[in-house]
Amino acid sequence: MGNQATVSIKEQNKSAASSLLKKNIRKFLNNKLAVLGLLVVVIMLVACVVGAIIGVDFSTPHLDQMKSAPSGTYLFGTDTIGRDLLSRVLIGGCYSIFIGVFCAVVSSVIGAALGAVAGYFGGKVDAVIVRISELFQAFPQLVLVMMLVAILNQRGLGNLLFIFVVTGWMTTFRMVRNEYMSLKNETYVKVCEAFGMSRSNVMFKQILPNVMSPIIVSTTTNVAYFILQEASLSFIGLGVQDSTPTWGNILNAAKSLQVVTESWWIWVFPGLAITLFVLAINFLGDGLRDVLDAKQQ
Amino acid sequence: MLKFILKKLLLMIPMLIVISFIVYFGLQLTGIDPINSMVSPEVLSANADRIDELREELGLNDPLIVQYGRWLGGILTGDLGYGLDGTPIARTIATRLPYTLELAGYSLILSAIIGIGIGIISAIRQNGVIDYVGRVLAVLGQAVPQFLVGILMIWIFSIKLGWFPASNRVDPMATNAFVDAFLHLFLPVATLTIGMVAVLMRYARNTMLDVLNSDYIKTARSKGIPEWKVYLKHGFRNAMKPVLVILMFRIPTLIGGSVVIESVFSYPGIGTTMTNAITSNDYPVVMVTTLIIAATMLVCSFMVDVLNALLDPRVRLGE
Repeated sequence: MGNQATVSIKEQNKSAASSLLKKNIRKFLNNKLAVLGLLVVVIMLVACVVGAIIGVDFSTPHLDQMKSAPSGTYLFGTDTIGRDLLSRVLIGGCYSIFIGVFCAVVSSVIGAALGAVAGYFGGKVDAVIVRISELFQAFPQLVLVMMLVAILNQRGLGNLLFIFVVTGWMTTFRMVRNEYMSLKNETYVKVCEAFGMSRSNVMFKQILPNVMSPIIVSTTTNVAYFILQEASLSFIGLGVQDSTPTWGNILNAAKSLQVVTESWWIWVFPGLAITLFVLAINFLGDGLRDVLDAKQQ
Repeated sequence: MLKFILKKLLLMIPMLIVISFIVYFGLQLTGIDPINSMVSPEVLSANADRIDELREELGLNDPLIVQYGRWLGGILTGDLGYGLDGTPIARTIATRLPYTLELAGYSLILSAIIGIGIGIISAIRQNGVIDYVGRVLAVLGQAVPQFLVGILMIWIFSIKLGWFPASNRVDPMATNAFVDAFLHLFLPVATLTIGMVAVLMRYARNTMLDVLNSDYIKTARSKGIPEWKVYLKHGFRNAMKPVLVILMFRIPTLIGGSVVIESVFSYPGIGTTMTNAITSNDYPVVMVTTLIIAATMLVCSFMVDVLNALLDPRVRLGE
C-alpha cells in the first residue's frame, strides 16, 4: 500500500514535469524569433558538418584562380591564394562553432563549480576566489587573451581553447555565486543540512537544479561571445593558424585594403556567416530566457 | 569623502604590484632569452664567446625576483627599457598612447551622448519609430563583429565615396592639423561608437522606463510640473547613475575593441603596438603595454567608485 502511494507520487511528479516541459516547448514555439534562431543555427551547423563529412577541399590553392569572383565552379569565389571560399567557410564554420560551444560549456562548468563553492561556503574560500576573479577582470578580456597568447607563444587550436576557458569563466562565476548566496538560506537547504546530507550533495543535487536555467541561458549566449572573440583575435592575426580555417582567420585577408577594395566576396561571405550565426544564437538565447527564467513569468 | 578617495587610491597600489608581478613572470615563462632584446644581434655575434660575461654584466644571472625589482624600479623612474628594434619603449609609448586615448576618449563621449539620448527618447516615446529603430540596431550591433563594421566603413566611406582616409592617423602632407585629425579619427571613432551605443541605449532605455514608472514621477506630474521638467529634472537625474556605472564598466570592452579597430584602420596606437610586439616576440614591449592597459583599467574603476560615491551618499557612508 505504502509502496503504491510513493509510486503514484512519483508518477504525479513525472506527469507534472512532462506537462511543464510541454508548456515550455509551446511557449518557446510561440516566440517566432527564437524558433527562427534555432532553425538558422541547426541549418548552418548541418551544412558545416555535412561539408566536413563529404570532405570538401578547403586547402588546395589554385594559383591560376586567385581571387576569382563567385561563379558556377566557385559559388563563393576563391581567396587570395585561390582556395575555394565556400569550402573554407563551411569547414571554418565547424571550427568556429566548435570553439564557441566547447569554450562556452567548459567555462560555464568551471564558473558554476567555483561559484557554487564560493557562494555556498562563503568566508575565506569565497574571498580568495573572488580576488582571483577580480584580478582577471583588471585586464580587458582581449588584452588578457593577447598576453596569454604571448606567454604560450604558439598559435594552435588547443592553446586558443585553453586561453578562452581560462579567461571566460568569470561572468558565470559571479552569477552562480550570487544565486547560491541567496539560495543557501532557503528552508529546503536548511532541511537537507539538518538531515545530515553531505555538503556536495546539497550543493550539486539540491541547489544546482535551481540555478540551471540561468546557466543554460548564459552558456547559449556565451557561444556567440566566444565565436566573436575568436574572430577578433584571428582577425588581428593572433588566433589559430591559417592552415586551420575559422570564420575569423578567413576574414584576416580583409586586413589588406586591396582585398577590401577588389574582392568583396572574401570578406562578405565569412562576415555574413558570423553575423547570421551570432544573431541566431542571440535570438535562441533570448527565447530560452523567456521560457526558463522564472522571474519573468 | 577625502578619506574614501584616499582609501581607494591606496588599495590600487597592491593591485598594480600583483598585476606587474603576473605580467613579468608570465612573460618570463615564454622562454625567450631576454639577452636578444637587450643586445643588438651584431654585438651578440661579435661577442659569441663573451655571452656569459654579458649576462653577468646585464644582471641576467641574478635571481628572477631581483630582475623583477630592477624592471619595476626602472618603470617607476621612467626607464621602460628598449624594444627589439632598439627604440626606447618610453618614446614609442609617448607617441602612441595619446593616439589611443584620443580614439577611446572620443568614442566614449560620443557614445555616451548618442546612446543615452536615443535611450531616453525611446523610453519617453515607447514603441515609437526611434524605439523600434533603436531595438533593431541594438540587436544587430551585438551580432556584427566590430571589425566587420570597420571594414564596411572603409568600403563605403573611403573606397566608394572617398570621403575619409582608410588608415593611419597623421598625413605628412596635411596643412591643418585639426582637419587632419578629424579626417583620420572619424571612421575608427564611428566604428567604436556604434558598438558602444548598441549596448548603452538599451540600458538607458530600461533604467529610464523603470524611473518613469515609479511613484515619485507620478507625484511630480500630479503637482503639475511641466512634462519636460519631469523628464529632465526628476527622471533623467535618477536614471543616469546606473547608466554611468554601465558606461564605466564598458571601458574594458572599449579598450579591447580599440585594439581590434586600430588593427582594421592601421591606426598607430597602443593596440597596434601590442599586436605587433606579440607577433614579433618583442616581450619588453608586451610587458609595458599590458601594464599600461591594466593601469588604465584600474584608474577607470577607481573613477567609477568615486563617481558613485559622489552621486550616492550611501556608498561613502557605508564604507
